[in-house]
Amino acid sequence: MRGDMVAGALGLLVLAHAVYSTIRYRGSLKLMEEEFVRAPPQVLLELLVSLGLCFWAALRVPGSFLPILLDAQENRVRQLSDDLDFMIFNHRGKLFAPKFEVKFRA
Amino acid sequence: MVGVADEMEVDRLEQELESGHGDVTEYLGLVRKLKLRRSANVLKHGVALLNNPSAKSKLGTDVWTIYEQVAVAALDSDDLRVAEECVKALLIKFPDSARVARLEGMWMEAKGQWKEASAIYDSVIQEIPFDSQLHKRKVAIFKAQGKLSEAAETLIKYLDTFMADHEAWRELANIYISQQMYKQAAFCFEELLLAQPGNALYHLGYAEVLYTIGGVENLRTAKKYYASTIELSGGKNLRALYGVCLCGLALSQTKLRTKEEKDNTNLQSLAAAVILKEYKDKAPNKADLVSSVLEKQKS
Repeated sequence: MRGDMVAGALGLLVLAHAVYSTIRYRGSLKLMEEEFVRAPPQVLLELLVSLGLCFWAALRVPGSFLPILLDAQENRVRQLSDDLDFMIFNHRGKLFAPKFEVKFRA
Repeated sequence: MVGVADEMEVDRLEQELESGHGDVTEYLGLVRKLKLRRSANVLKHGVALLNNPSAKSKLGTDVWTIYEQVAVAALDSDDLRVAEECVKALLIKFPDSARVARLEGMWMEAKGQWKEASAIYDSVIQEIPFDSQLHKRKVAIFKAQGKLSEAAETLIKYLDTFMADHEAWRELANIYISQQMYKQAAFCFEELLLAQPGNALYHLGYAEVLYTIGGVENLRTAKKYYASTIELSGGKNLRALYGVCLCGLALSQTKLRTKEEKDNTNLQSLAAAVILKEYKDKAPNKADLVSSVLEKQKS
């Protein structure tokens, strides 16, 4: 868990470094009066590495995956909810009252 | 719908409460969310919570929801005294609420005063005609008196307006089944299947109604729906497995079988094998009995 967090932080750092070096690269291009074609290969590599690290952290840090299939062990419907809107009270429960006393304290 | 994970959570909380160190608020909330009818437990722990002033003050405005929940649980456990106190507390807090009026009506119902209860519901319905729960209570009044055909009529009228209420369709199906009107019940299950095609238990219910009606066509359809129940429940539903076997047996006794059906008894024998395996795992002393029953069905 902590390792995953560190990986994510590292990914963000690498990304920040890539941003910084791109800005510096463009600054130096302006000085040399050249056109910007694309970022240097080192920056592209950094982007890829940071993408990988951030992906890793985003998939691992929030927790494990939950099953979404209907027939998965955890998702299986075991019982329908009791329809409380239609519940009636003159049932056999009247003859078998619960075996405990409850009382409101005023 | 109550899934496996939900069920385990409820059981865990109940056990913790039994041993005296559980979170009552969480339990009551979960019971409300899953719409379970565990009245005795709700009554016992709910009243204990309401009697505890410090816990009660932590709840804030949620306390009124718990009053309502405890009141219904008390009515269901035939403890009218506790119910009366809850209803009175709610009436003082919310004198004009339709929800409390419904609770008052339910209290009348529990005492058997059907006319008074009905009068309360009618007077609130006049003010708020689209309160679905009040209409449902009127159905429940008929049901409680055993007047099932009136209950069905009222429910059909209700469903004309609130067509998307699948719990009402399920109730209608149950009423029809207890009146042995299986064709109408099958129609209700078709509606339920349209509303929730992923719910294995509706597939099972539909299959069972069709199997009960009987006839070659219905048996074939029933077998298909039993099979889809098996698929949706990951093969864990024994009722569906037995259903496939019984449909197969019933079809093998008819003469109108297609050639394909005569040759193909794969599904049946597979289902039988799974049933036997489940019994061997969970109830080994009954496995012999089951295997002899399944053996008889084959021949």
